[in-house]
Formats: sequence, structure tokens, C-alpha cells
Amino acid sequence: MKFLKYVKDNLIGIVIYLVTASLIALMLAAFKTPSIALIITFIFFILSGVLILAISYIRKNKFYKLFMDNLEKLDKKFLILETLPEPTTYEEKIMVNSLYEINKSMIENIKISQKNINDFKEFVEIWIHEAKIPISSMVLKCHNNPEKYDKSFLSQIRRLDNNIDEILYYVRSEDTEKDFIITEIDLKEVVRNISLKNKDDLLENNIEFEVDLKATSANSDKKWLEFIINQIINNSIKYKKESESIIKIESSENKDKVILEIYDNGIGIPEKDLKRVFDKSFTGTNGRDKVKSTGMGLYIIKKLCDKLGHNISIESKENQYTKVILEFGKNNIYKGAM
Amino acid sequence: MKKIMIVEDDKVIAEELYNLLKSSNYEAIILTDFKNAKNEILKSGVDLILLDINIPILNGEILLKEIRKESNVPIIMVTSKTSETDEVLSYSYGADDYIIKPYNPTILLLKIAAIFKRCELNSNIISYKDLSFDIGKGIVKNKNAEVILTKNEIIIFSLLLNHQDRIVSKDEIMTDLWNNDEYINENALTVNISRLRAKLSELGYDNIIETRKGIGYRII
Repeated sequence: MKFLKYVKDNLIGIVIYLVTASLIALMLAAFKTPSIALIITFIFFILSGVLILAISYIRKNKFYKLFMDNLEKLDKKFLILETLPEPTTYEEKIMVNSLYEINKSMIENIKISQKNINDFKEFVEIWIHEAKIPISSMVLKCHNNPEKYDKSFLSQIRRLDNNIDEILYYVRSEDTEKDFIITEIDLKEVVRNISLKNKDDLLENNIEFEVDLKATSANSDKKWLEFIINQIINNSIKYKKESESIIKIESSENKDKVILEIYDNGIGIPEKDLKRVFDKSFTGTNGRDKVKSTGMGLYIIKKLCDKLGHNISIESKENQYTKVILEFGKNNIYKGAM
Repeated sequence: MKKIMIVEDDKVIAEELYNLLKSSNYEAIILTDFKNAKNEILKSGVDLILLDINIPILNGEILLKEIRKESNVPIIMVTSKTSETDEVLSYSYGADDYIIKPYNPTILLLKIAAIFKRCELNSNIISYKDLSFDIGKGIVKNKNAEVILTKNEIIIFSLLLNHQDRIVSKDEIMTDLWNNDEYINENALTVNISRLRAKLSELGYDNIIETRKGIGYRII
């Protein structure tokens, strides 16, 4: 609290006080009071006025200074009430009580919207499991009646399934709760599952698919990692070049991390887009001009990687290649716990 | 013929699974009475159970736990849930395998075949006419000669031998190869088949692998 500003706020009182003091002085003068008595009275009057102003300033300043200092230091400003001492004056009480009421009503509001979000997320999860049932029966129908439904049906069903997975993992990536388990997983198995999932697309598009896993285990969540790599492979297939396409998955390790690289010789990413590919809703030149894209895929992957504690980066040269690099920490804490 | 029980409350999926298993020469039964699921399953004497997790009355995981108290029949859990905890829970309750919907039907059949193979003794050697095929070593021999097969040839030959009664589609062979981390394309498959044919003719069997154009292959 600035003293001058405080004085300014109390200007009317000060003016009234000074005017009153002057009037009293004039009155005393009119009654022919000796001038020494008049001056002493006037000085006492002024001194007491200054004293009243100063004491009230000091008391208020003690409260407000603490309040403002704490507010500045706090990361979560709404916790300010917890840092204040018991209010003593009526003004302080009004302020603290109001803040308490405001906080309470805000917390209630947040709780309601959190509940709404959680209900929605729960519904999405349930809905997705429900949606997977007709998808499974369609896959089975296609397999059992190849003469009726050819492979193009299956590829459309796969597209649908991938799109649905995108929502599922978007919801999971936004969730503040931790619903994954980090264990030592078999990279071979993860790559195998993804390969089988994309087998038809890879073969139909004549994409040479090479796998060379020098490191075969990493600390991660199997399902999440499968989704992440599957999205990357889908991108590689989507943005492949016209002919002689190659997709390579390689892994290696050094003493503190396991590195998984997914390389393709596709159309690549323009340099100006490269640093923004993980941004929410960023589609870039490729996403707009060549294949329609939601711009969510890489954003979700990045968020999942952040939650899992994996490092993800992309290297690319337009019209030459794209390489996605995933790094898994070799954290021995996990191993010890298993 | 191996008997397989389908525990699945979605009628369409149950029916399609039934057809899938039938066409792969398994006898399939669909569980209808979920109230007495445990008893029905135990008294049916099936060789394998496909158990969905989301079923009425008793949840699949609980049912699995109940069955395991009394029987060691192989069980494959089928689910549309994709959380790690379900998988861990299923394995800890004694499931033999776990597959997520929507699954590739060929993979499901391969998983079933793999479980049955694990249950059988001496399954490492398949005989065909006067040939004996040691899958583990990859050696095919008769009294005159012996040839050594590569990993891909072993996969293809054993798949064909296990399904002598029908045509094996290209897609099934490719799926089996990819399932064994051999990510080859169809041209490479053709090359592998002709090498396998050449090796078999060294043993005196010319043209026992028949090509059905556009469909697949069959051992005759």
C-alpha cells in the first residue's frame, strides 16, 4: 500500500478536517483567544489528525501488504485465504468472508463442470467400447463372406476403427488421472501388433516394410505405445510418395535410453511447418493440400508421450523423408518395482 | 474335432464367430444361458473357451476366476476394453490368451491353433505321406533324403500341412508370416513358395503344393 495513494483516497476526510480546524481557529480568533493558545490548539489539532491517519494507515497496510505479497508469491491464487491470519477489523472480516464465499461458489462451479467432463469422458469410453462391437462383427462378416465383402470394406472399417481410437486416446491424454501402467514391454510384440493391423494397407500400397529391432524391450505402456506407433505408421502411409515407398522401424539403445525410430521416404514436412506439427489443430501444408487431416493426431501423441515420460521428436526433409524418434528412459526404479 | 465354446452376448458376433470356427473345422457351441454360465461351461466338456469380458450377470473376469477353480480348460479372453489393467487381471486369473476387439479373425484362429498345439504332445513333428517334418529343427526327411527349410518355409509348410483339408488363402499365410515377425511382401511369398516346392521335389514330391489362382495354396 502506497501512503500517498492512501492519503489521496482519504482526501475528502482530510479536507473536511482541515476546513473544520481552520473554522475552529477562526472562531477562537473571533472570541479573542490569545494567539499562543490558538496556535497550540491548531498544532494539537493537526498533530492528532496526522496521527489518526498514520495509525489507520499502518494497521491497514499490515493486512494489505501481507495479502498482496502472498498473492504474488502464490502459484494458485485461490489459496490466498489459507495464508492470511485471523481477520481482526470489521473491514478485514468483510474482505476475508467475501473471499471465502467467492472461493466456495467457484469451487462448486468447478466441481460441477468437472463432474460434467468426467461424465462425458466416461460416456465416451463406454460409447467407444459399444462402437467396437459392431466393428468387430463387421470384420468377422467380411472375413466369413469374402465373396460378398471384398478387402475395400475391411480397409474402410479399419479407418473407422482408427478414427474411434483417436477419440479414445484424446480423452485419455486430457485426463488428469493416470490410467496407464509402465512396465518392461516387448517392442517386438508391439511392432508385430501394429504391423498386422496395417498389413493390408502396407501391402496394397506396395510399401516396403522393414523392421530391425536391436533393442527389444523398453519401459512404457503397451496399449498407449501401440496407439502412438500406429498413428505414426498411419501418417507414413498417408503421406507416402508415389512409388518405391519404404517404412522402416528401428530400435537401438545406449546406457540411459532406448531409441525407436520410424522412418519413411514419403513426401516429408516443409521446414516452416516442422516446429508446429505437435500443436493442437495444426494441419500444415500437407494436411491441407494433400490429404485431409484433423491436425489432432500428432498433438495427441505428444501429450501421451509427455504423460508416459517419453521424448518424441521429428526430423524431416520435404520430398525426401520423415523420421519420428521416440526415446524411452531406462529408469531402473521401474525395474526394481516389477 | 475340437470343441470350442463361445461366450458372447452380442448375437451377431457370436454367430459370425460360430461360422468362422465352423469353416476352420472346429465344432462350436454358443452359450445361451448366462445365468448358469459356469455350470454350463463345465459340463459341456469343451476343449477351449472364447470368453468375452462384458457379459451379462457374471463379468467375464469373475467367470474366468470361477472356472479356473475347477478346470484347466484353455481360455482366450475377448474384450473391447483397451485398458492395461483388464489384461493384467485376466492373465492373473489364469487366461491363456487375451485379444482385443476388433480383432483380425486369422489372428484369432492362429491363437487357437497355437493353444491346441501347446496342449498336444510331440506336436513338433508332423508326418505327411512318408515325410516327417520336424518343425523345431526345420528338417523334412524321408528314407532317401533330407532338406533344411528356412524360417519362412517352415511357417508356410506347417500352415499348409495343418490345413490339408482345405485351401489356405494367401492372406492367411501372410498373416502367419507377419505374426512371426517376417514382414515380407507378396512377391517374396511367391519366391518362398517356389523355393519350398524345389526343396520338396528333392525329396521326390513334385507339385504337391497346388496354386489356386486368386485364392491361395493347398497341399495335395
